Amino acid sequence: MNASLHPSPAPTQGAEAAPSSDYAVDARRISKWFPTPDGESLLVLKDVSFSVERGKIAAILGASGCGKSTLLNIVSGLLAPDRGEVFLNGIASREFRQWRSIAYMFQEDRLLPWRTAIDNVAFGLEAGDIPRAERMRRARETLQLVGLEGFENAYPYQLSGGMRSRVALARSLVVEPMLLLMDEPFSKLDPMIRSQMHAELLRIQEMKGVTVVFVTHDVDEAVVLADHVTVLMPRPGRVKEVVPIDLPRPREQTRQDVIEYVRKLRTMV
Amino acid sequence: METAMNSNTTLAGQQPTPQPQRRRRKLALQRLALLVLLLGVWPLASLGTPAFVLPSPARVVQALMRLIENGTFFADLGVTLGRVLVGFVLAALTAAPLGILLGSNRRLGEFFEPVLPIMNTVSSAIWAIFAIIWFGISNATTIFVVYMTAMPLILTNVWQGTQTVNAEFIELARTFRMSRAKVMRKIYLPTILPYFFSGARLAFGFGWRVSLVAETLGSSNGVGYRLRQAADLVQTDQVFAWTVTLVAMMALLEMGILKPLENHLFRWKKSVANG
Repeated sequence: MNASLHPSPAPTQGAEAAPSSDYAVDARRISKWFPTPDGESLLVLKDVSFSVERGKIAAILGASGCGKSTLLNIVSGLLAPDRGEVFLNGIASREFRQWRSIAYMFQEDRLLPWRTAIDNVAFGLEAGDIPRAERMRRARETLQLVGLEGFENAYPYQLSGGMRSRVALARSLVVEPMLLLMDEPFSKLDPMIRSQMHAELLRIQEMKGVTVVFVTHDVDEAVVLADHVTVLMPRPGRVKEVVPIDLPRPREQTRQDVIEYVRKLRTMV
Repeated sequence: METAMNSNTTLAGQQPTPQPQRRRRKLALQRLALLVLLLGVWPLASLGTPAFVLPSPARVVQALMRLIENGTFFADLGVTLGRVLVGFVLAALTAAPLGILLGSNRRLGEFFEPVLPIMNTVSSAIWAIFAIIWFGISNATTIFVVYMTAMPLILTNVWQGTQTVNAEFIELARTFRMSRAKVMRKIYLPTILPYFFSGARLAFGFGWRVSLVAETLGSSNGVGYRLRQAADLVQTDQVFAWTVTLVAMMALLEMGILKPLENHLFRWKKSVANG
């Protein structure tokens, strides 16, 4: 049984296989310590390995305190691991230069309240030196993509939670990322809107072929979205199991095989 | 998808409805009534009092006409306004960057924190006396007093604003690999702007008032100087004429420039949109 649960991501086992660009993310034996207030250091991630093939959706599932967000921050290059190495598109993190091709979506929508929807989306492009007209054109297109045509000039306070979440998604997508990292991105939405956002994400992911890594504590969300789920155990965060979800999409939560997977994963978390 | 469209109502709800309009009209009527009341009480009160204590409205209007005809009225007004503006602009130009610096650098902020209350407690009259010692009877005296009054007010507000910058937005900018300069321009400045604005507004009002104090002490022209002259000659009607002029000017500035500007700049705030 265990063998079948450890699928393709060979690099985790095959001790030091050469980094391959088939993998958008290939994290190898990541460890991370955080200093505690009393001057000691706490191990938050221990030898965590996981990899994601290009164009796939990967979930990192775990209870709170298992270092999910830390792992995501390490993959995004915002945080350096104390041990181990991350390869992005087969390039070691230290030598990786295309950080702007990685988008990061947070738990909160983090829309700038003083900017309209379209200007919030364009914010994603303002780090570089793309001319304004081009930024606006792409922001407009991306708003259309997430179904918000006609709301370009609305301010965040005028939008519903679901719409704000769409704007945040558009802000991540406007940079045309090769990798989209999401830290419990829809967890603050109510269930109805959340499943709409799931469908929306799947539609866009299929269209654009972007690789997605998302962190969640919600087993249903992991099963509905992911190609494979990496289950983390807490204190210190380490990989318990990698579970491939071999189900066709869309995966209605009421389907028997979906329920099976949910049940199986629940026992692990 | 459907819900996104249903949520149109959130947007529709923000469109100007008759309600706030009616409220605004009611408010305007109230203000008008108050004005009529004041204008009604004034002549009545002036009936039984000598003109050098409380001149009648008619006398004040006459005094105002005389001031305007005699020629220096607009020159004095212009001189005072010019001094206030120079002091104010200098204050804004130094206080804003300083406030950002002290607000974003904790060690510097902690070190200089006690200076602000000290500056705020020193009376403008004291600044005026220092100014006369240092600059004599000159434009610099009034400008200095306006500056010393306005600067700490703007500084305090900008400083406070810097502390409200949302760390989550900074983190967001970092995920896009935004440069520090851009983070400053795109996150810090918009966050601070409302604080700067209210500080600047307060500072301008204070600056305008203390400029008159400074001019009565250390100037040979300007509104403050004319006020003292009128007082020395017991021309109470002229004092009233100047006062009415200044109040009208400030009201015009507030309603004609500051309020519309504020509504435009901060239209993204819910509270402003609701009036």
